[in-house]
Amino acid sequence: MSDNAQVEHLVDKKYEAGFVTDIESDTLPPGLNEDVIRHISAIKGEPDWLLDWRLAAFAHWKTMSEPHWAHVKYTPTDYQAISYYSAPKKREDGPQSLDEVDPKLLETYKKLGIPLHEQEFLAGVAVDAVFDSVSVATTFKGKLKDAGVIFCPISEAVQEHPELVKKYLGTVVPTGDNFFAALNSAVFTDGSFVYIPKGVRCPMELSTYFRINASNTGQFERTLIIADEGAYVSYLEGCTAPQRDENQLHAAVVELIAHDDAQIKYSTVQNWYPGDENGVGGIYNFVTKRGDCRGARSKISWTQVETGSAITWKYPSCVLRGDDSVGEFYSVALTKMHQQADTGTKMVHLGKNTRSTIVSKGISAGFGQQSYRGLVHIGKDATGARNHTQCDSLLIGSTCGAHTFPYVEVKNPTATMEHEATTSRIGEDQLFYCKSRGIAEEDAVNLIVNGFCKDVFNELPMEFAVEANRLMEVSLEGAVG
Amino acid sequence: MPDIAALRKQAWDAFEQAGLPTTRQEEWKYTSLARIGSTLGEAWWTAADPASLDDADIEALAIPELDAWRVVFANGRLIRGATHLPDGLTLSPLSELLTGNAQQAAVALQWQDDAPLFNGTLAANSALAEDGLCLCLTDGVKLDKPVYMLHIAGNGGASHLRHGLWLGKNSEAHVIEHYAGVNEEPGLTHAVTLVHLGAGAHLYHDRLQDESPKHFHLGRLHATQGRDSMLSSHAVGLGASLSRLDLAVDLAAPGASCILNGLYMPTGRQHCDHHTQIDHSAPHCISREHYRGVLDGRAHGVFNGKVVVHQGASGTDSAQSNANLLLSDKAEVDAKPELVIHHDDVKAAHGCTVGQLDDKQLFYLKTRGMSDEEARQMLTFAFADSVLTGMRVPAVRRFIEKRAFSKLPLGADAEAMLG
Repeated sequence: MSDNAQVEHLVDKKYEAGFVTDIESDTLPPGLNEDVIRHISAIKGEPDWLLDWRLAAFAHWKTMSEPHWAHVKYTPTDYQAISYYSAPKKREDGPQSLDEVDPKLLETYKKLGIPLHEQEFLAGVAVDAVFDSVSVATTFKGKLKDAGVIFCPISEAVQEHPELVKKYLGTVVPTGDNFFAALNSAVFTDGSFVYIPKGVRCPMELSTYFRINASNTGQFERTLIIADEGAYVSYLEGCTAPQRDENQLHAAVVELIAHDDAQIKYSTVQNWYPGDENGVGGIYNFVTKRGDCRGARSKISWTQVETGSAITWKYPSCVLRGDDSVGEFYSVALTKMHQQADTGTKMVHLGKNTRSTIVSKGISAGFGQQSYRGLVHIGKDATGARNHTQCDSLLIGSTCGAHTFPYVEVKNPTATMEHEATTSRIGEDQLFYCKSRGIAEEDAVNLIVNGFCKDVFNELPMEFAVEANRLMEVSLEGAVG
Repeated sequence: MPDIAALRKQAWDAFEQAGLPTTRQEEWKYTSLARIGSTLGEAWWTAADPASLDDADIEALAIPELDAWRVVFANGRLIRGATHLPDGLTLSPLSELLTGNAQQAAVALQWQDDAPLFNGTLAANSALAEDGLCLCLTDGVKLDKPVYMLHIAGNGGASHLRHGLWLGKNSEAHVIEHYAGVNEEPGLTHAVTLVHLGAGAHLYHDRLQDESPKHFHLGRLHATQGRDSMLSSHAVGLGASLSRLDLAVDLAAPGASCILNGLYMPTGRQHCDHHTQIDHSAPHCISREHYRGVLDGRAHGVFNGKVVVHQGASGTDSAQSNANLLLSDKAEVDAKPELVIHHDDVKAAHGCTVGQLDDKQLFYLKTRGMSDEEARQMLTFAFADSVLTGMRVPAVRRFIEKRAFSKLPLGADAEAMLG
């Protein structure tokens, strides 16, 4: 059967049998066209409105060209060479025990202090489903249900809470927002959905880590988090352990919506495969993340620790629409070897007395290239708006680069906006001081780097912060000297 | 012998290829030249008629009480040269070089499409510039008074000017470029200044753009600095309906340093854009940049400061700051202080602020018996004046202060406050 006929056959199948689970073992042939999108939609058993939404996004995507303004260089992606759907791998396909896993990876896990069965989970070992995370996850599910919190894969939410998904999906990042967001809208396969009802304080930190049934969400992830009036949620994405992934291009979209008095705290630790010493391979992480402070007195806070990926290209942003709303962005980005990162944030002040804080710390080593790119826009009606931006860069080695491109647009005279940036290498006097106290050079560098990042790590949830510290140490290994 | 006609043709072709910058280009995101095109039409390219100005007109516009060698341009043409020049200083009009010394004229008209902040207008200037001043200073000569270049824009048309300042080793000069106008009709001044500083040379450069409110101004200053040379620049933008200054400094040899200070005060519907780029191409160079803006009415101010530290530029020390004061709710400012750093042995910092007057300071002055308006005026003045404190010649500073002050709401009382 030719590829096309196969696709048609699969598309037709939807109408025969409705929700077909068998299809899940399929992998679509490379290429992107409407049929592929219909197929993905069919596999997910999506309602017509979502299929139409995807197709509209695809139609728009076709009219767009890939952007090249970022300060990064990479070989272009052939979008027709990617397979846009591949069902989650069966556990039996993975390595059967830790002995079969790359020893380098295990060494890193060990340094990070990750428990054995978690190592197995992360490395994709076919372990029996009865290990801690699962039981923990089940307990958590019960607790969340009692609180009224909805936390599930987005494909599940489409089935069970279509009214919520329909109401909010694409309202923060419209389908035609940018090239990668349009692509994601057309082909996204899964991601998280969170809804916190009015006045509920989510009883625990939500983490993708525990959402194990969606462990293989693929390269086009879509996350939608809604905090209704007075709600609070803290969401953790990723984990400190290095994750292997076969997909080179990752184009996720994250949308956050905060209603009156609601608060969303979104923390990311990203440590995907950065490529080898010569800059070959590695993940392209092209993500669109945006939060909408829709209600008065709402607050959205982004915290990110970016150490992985060959190329990181993302700007978690806040649209401060509601009066007195608050946006925060705390970031640590580390580039080493041939990694490149062009990251930062946008704070768009539209409501009165809106406030935003940006703290960005960049560390560049080896041949790493790092850029902070940020926009602070203060609109005409944003009376009394305030912004404070601080972005510092630390350079280790003479071949790396650190760049700062802050955009400031102010249209209101009562606004106060401050931007500060510094770039330097690790002070020789600081190093000397540490060494004279008997601290080895590498430890001294770690100490100084951790001090440099402290403002951001402090914003991370407790356990994450400890892990992030260790992650920096491991990542910097060999970068000094 | 270089062929000027061929050079001009090549430059014009390059301009036609590059075209005028549009807001689609990153460097021109906030400034649209469409306004100039639609207002001037073909007059954009046609040279303005040399204005007939008598001495009284010139005196009325010139900086008073300034002891300097004065050179006057009207509508892009030299009309008064300087006399009694000391040994070692030559001031040659470009128009004379074009007929008499093609070698030097070609150097003055040079352009490169890889120049920092390059766009089509630089090539167009090379193709069209008819006059300008080529200042040459021999090694070791230190001038004891400034060279004052007064440019007067008359009615309509365009003036394309090209100046060159070549300072030999260990020489020292102070050059004042003053752009003024008397015109009622819109016109364009398009002035490019190339600066080359030999080892150990010092140049103090003041650039005052104070043209009439219907005029358009495109300015450019390109400086290349030799070993241990020093450039101290003050750029002040007060006039014109739309003005843009591209200021690029290349610290090309070890030990070079530059100080770039600037002030822009657009009011009404004025649009004032300053783009600067400092290239640290050699080790141990120092740059300091400090720009301030005061914006009133529906004015639009743009500041873009870029500092590039190239690989191998060890011991770089760079600091940049930009502060803006918005006086009206219709005014807008867009700032972008950029750092591009390719080397680790650097100290680089930049800062940018936008805000309003400090309530506490206002309160303090009011408790001392000042009216609200007076207090605001004084604080605004102090805010703007802080970038002028390093100016070398008091007469120039005083003149700029008065011109700047007259743009504030209570400007008439400027004299009294300055004392």
